[in-house]
Amino acid sequence: MSAAAARSIFLVGVLSACLLVVGCTASANNETFFGKTDPPRENVLRYVSGSEPESLDPQIPIGQNEARISMALFEGLAEYDPKSSQPIPALAESWEVNKDWSEVLFHLRRDGRFSNGDRITARDFVYTIQRGMTPSVGARYASLAYPIKYAQAFNEGAVFVFDPNTKNYLLERDFADDNSTNPVALSSQPDVISSEYANGNASLANTALHQTMHAPLRLVLPGKDKKRNDLLDKNPKLKAAVAGKQLVPVKADDVGVEAPDDYTLRISLMQPTPYFISMMPHQFFRALHQKTIEKFGSAWTDADKIVTSGPFKLDSWRHYDRIVVVRDPQYWDTAHVHLDKIVFYLLADNVTMLSLYKAGELDVTYNHTVPATWLEVIGHRKDFMDAPEAAIDFYNFNTTAGPTRDVRVRKALNMSLDKKALADWRHVAPLTAMTPNGIFPGYPQPKGDPFDPEQAKKLLAEAGYKDANGNFDPKKFEASEIEMIMNPDANNLPYAEFIQAQWKQNLGATISMRVMENKTFTTAQTNLEYKGISRTGWSADYMDPFTFLSIFYTPKGTNATGWWDPKYVALLDQANRTTDHLERYKLLAQAEQLLLDAQPVIPLTVGTTRLMKKPYVKGVYPNAATLIPWKYAYIERDPSKWDYGMPDMSEPSAVAGG
Amino acid sequence: MLRFIVRRIVIIIPMLFVVVSLTWALVRLAPGNFYSGEKKIAPAVEANLREKYGLDKPWYVQYGKVLRNIGRFDFGTSLRYEGQSVNQILLRALPVSAALGFTAYLLALIVGITMGTLAALKQNSWLDSSSMVIAMLGISIPNFVLGPLLVLLFSLTLFWFPPALWNGFLSKSIVLPAITLSAIYVAYIARLTRSGMLEVLRSDYIRTARAKGLSEWQVVTRHALRGGLLPVISFSGPALAFLITGTVVVEKIFALPGLGNYFINACFNRDEPLILGIVAFIAISVLVFNLLVDISYAVIDPRIKY
Repeated sequence: MSAAAARSIFLVGVLSACLLVVGCTASANNETFFGKTDPPRENVLRYVSGSEPESLDPQIPIGQNEARISMALFEGLAEYDPKSSQPIPALAESWEVNKDWSEVLFHLRRDGRFSNGDRITARDFVYTIQRGMTPSVGARYASLAYPIKYAQAFNEGAVFVFDPNTKNYLLERDFADDNSTNPVALSSQPDVISSEYANGNASLANTALHQTMHAPLRLVLPGKDKKRNDLLDKNPKLKAAVAGKQLVPVKADDVGVEAPDDYTLRISLMQPTPYFISMMPHQFFRALHQKTIEKFGSAWTDADKIVTSGPFKLDSWRHYDRIVVVRDPQYWDTAHVHLDKIVFYLLADNVTMLSLYKAGELDVTYNHTVPATWLEVIGHRKDFMDAPEAAIDFYNFNTTAGPTRDVRVRKALNMSLDKKALADWRHVAPLTAMTPNGIFPGYPQPKGDPFDPEQAKKLLAEAGYKDANGNFDPKKFEASEIEMIMNPDANNLPYAEFIQAQWKQNLGATISMRVMENKTFTTAQTNLEYKGISRTGWSADYMDPFTFLSIFYTPKGTNATGWWDPKYVALLDQANRTTDHLERYKLLAQAEQLLLDAQPVIPLTVGTTRLMKKPYVKGVYPNAATLIPWKYAYIERDPSKWDYGMPDMSEPSAVAGG
Repeated sequence: MLRFIVRRIVIIIPMLFVVVSLTWALVRLAPGNFYSGEKKIAPAVEANLREKYGLDKPWYVQYGKVLRNIGRFDFGTSLRYEGQSVNQILLRALPVSAALGFTAYLLALIVGITMGTLAALKQNSWLDSSSMVIAMLGISIPNFVLGPLLVLLFSLTLFWFPPALWNGFLSKSIVLPAITLSAIYVAYIARLTRSGMLEVLRSDYIRTARAKGLSEWQVVTRHALRGGLLPVISFSGPALAFLITGTVVVEKIFALPGLGNYFINACFNRDEPLILGIVAFIAISVLVFNLLVDISYAVIDPRIKY
């Protein structure tokens, strides 16, 4: 046989082997579930949590991959409801807010225990919050706690000004015309805040701290000499007042959180913060064990040292491989924790995790693990979970340079894009406003501009891109001055290609795109070093529309558009001072409308969970926060009770309201 | 010989200095840093972080610290992984990469040399052609294609081996990654062995050996292989260094906790101490293995002297 013949026969062999494999896979497409459905022999849940955690310390990292594990190891005052993601009682049995929303009381349960058997008291939460605000800890989520009185001042290393003659601190209100001293809006702060509660619960000790909290707000100045002097130079009145006075650094004990008794936690707020309770399940606020942290420093999370507060405790951590947690017998509700063990596989590659899932080595995957291109194979399976998520995709406009400075151009680009077609193609929901629809019941969400290419062309003609007859002329449009930039996440490029085609079709303009390495991209985006358009997304830190609207509360930082309007901020402030829930929603919606009118963004789509869950896993729901309270999860061995399709999410969970 | 070795060892120091300095400069020039991300952090919090990690100091102070650390073989603490030292991470990840790399290396040597030798001995036979087709496939199918194909066949259709994860050196989980990793090396080694052997088999001393009446087995193993394997050795030294110090793609596909996986993530995370630690470690390994190759030349081929 000649070499050539041997070669071709061999190649034919290889090809047919490949086809055989593909054929076998294709023939399996009609099955109800994706891959094996044998429950694990042990009472264990095998989950994939994403890439290696930065740390198991819930106050250090900011990723969801760590939050998923914190949900098992630590517990806060409140927990996320497994279905609705709204706060439900956890280490606090109940809470109450005083009439003007300046103070929150948490009543702790008496049987809360750390994994080493120590009781969990209100003092542990005082420690947890103070520690999270300590500058040297470097907690990146510290700003979540800024609504707490003087928390921001402490975290920024700021100073109070003390007058040794009068033995008094200088007050904010005496310099109220200068509102640059403190970024939190204070103008409306009443002199003395009442601490009345609706049910008359005010028999608690009136401590020195409590009195300070209810005294007029102290003046806060930057701690760094240079920054402070710059500020004082701009304000001669302030400079004169501060001269010769003592600068007192803001300490942890000045932060508005205290334990009037072992089982009551009192938090004083800077201004009304109606979403404050929704933040309590966040990992940043979950109970930490002071003695362990102080003894071991940053090594406290090692498996042989860590002390935790959640339903599970750490068994082992094989770095870059898996974290195993086991049921903690010390946990107050351990009788109702179903699983003996959870294995968190530390990997983030979608194809790898779907392979593991199919081979029956994984029981549940996290959100967005099924790539859109796989939906054809997986989308109709009964173990594919596709529910709306509190996460949005949108494009930023650079409103400071190029054609996108013109609001008409921004509106035209938004209106000439068929978001419904985009969403249908990607199996998600279209987004026309800045908040995801259907997640916040009762919120009167504004609609945003509809898909209307003709109107878009008119707007562009008005903006000056027109021919002799006054009609829109694509040749005049400076499409080359606009470029879409994005990071290399799997979905970004197909999105951009679709959008590019839409603009080509509806406006006749070709807008180019560029995929950039992640950190390079975020730097360009933040510094507004992009031409026209940059891709971004946002997922809720807590279940309130404000988490989305607050992106544009500050002119810089997460707001990478260059658009900022004091009127917008004033509306948001006014909304948050409004205690009536629906009135507040109305004001938030007004602010959202104002934002949409200015069109600094193109809203694209609302995320959907797109995850896999084996039918025998119960008590796990694809909720909007995509964080799972693990204590409710269990393995159902009776196939007649399995989930065939999405579990019912409409009814309030039986466990809620504990 | 000894002078040669000493000279080569001394040369490692300036080379390491250059490698580390260049890497440091590149990391510093790249936009972004370890805490930058889509969700922006408050400016005050950023200031706290910069202070915590000494990033507020002038660059020469930071660079000096890097050099001091490397000089003491203590690469500092990871920026990304709170409280974990780079040395700890290297010690933890290296055994995984080394176990995988070494298995793949052995596999590549055994299969590659056997295939290459057989091909050379039966030149132009069907054995030769099919070996060389396999070799060509091994070179031309990238491992990010081969890996998933093997998973599709052996994990998801036949359910013989797990599709990912690491269960230790002596477990089923090493089989697919090792095959994937070794494919291209099998191919290279087979081709190198074949051409090396073809050349040697035509040489006079092989004819002499045959003339002395040695059996074919003895001719091949005692005489031909020694000479025919020289190109394989010069290829496989650095190859071993690369194999055991981590392989980004294969470790990523099979989610293995090895150095390559750490390395790629360290780059994406701008985790400077970890990047520098791994780069320095790989640089030292490559330099040392090259030295070992040079020494082994002298051992195998008596004509080479230093």
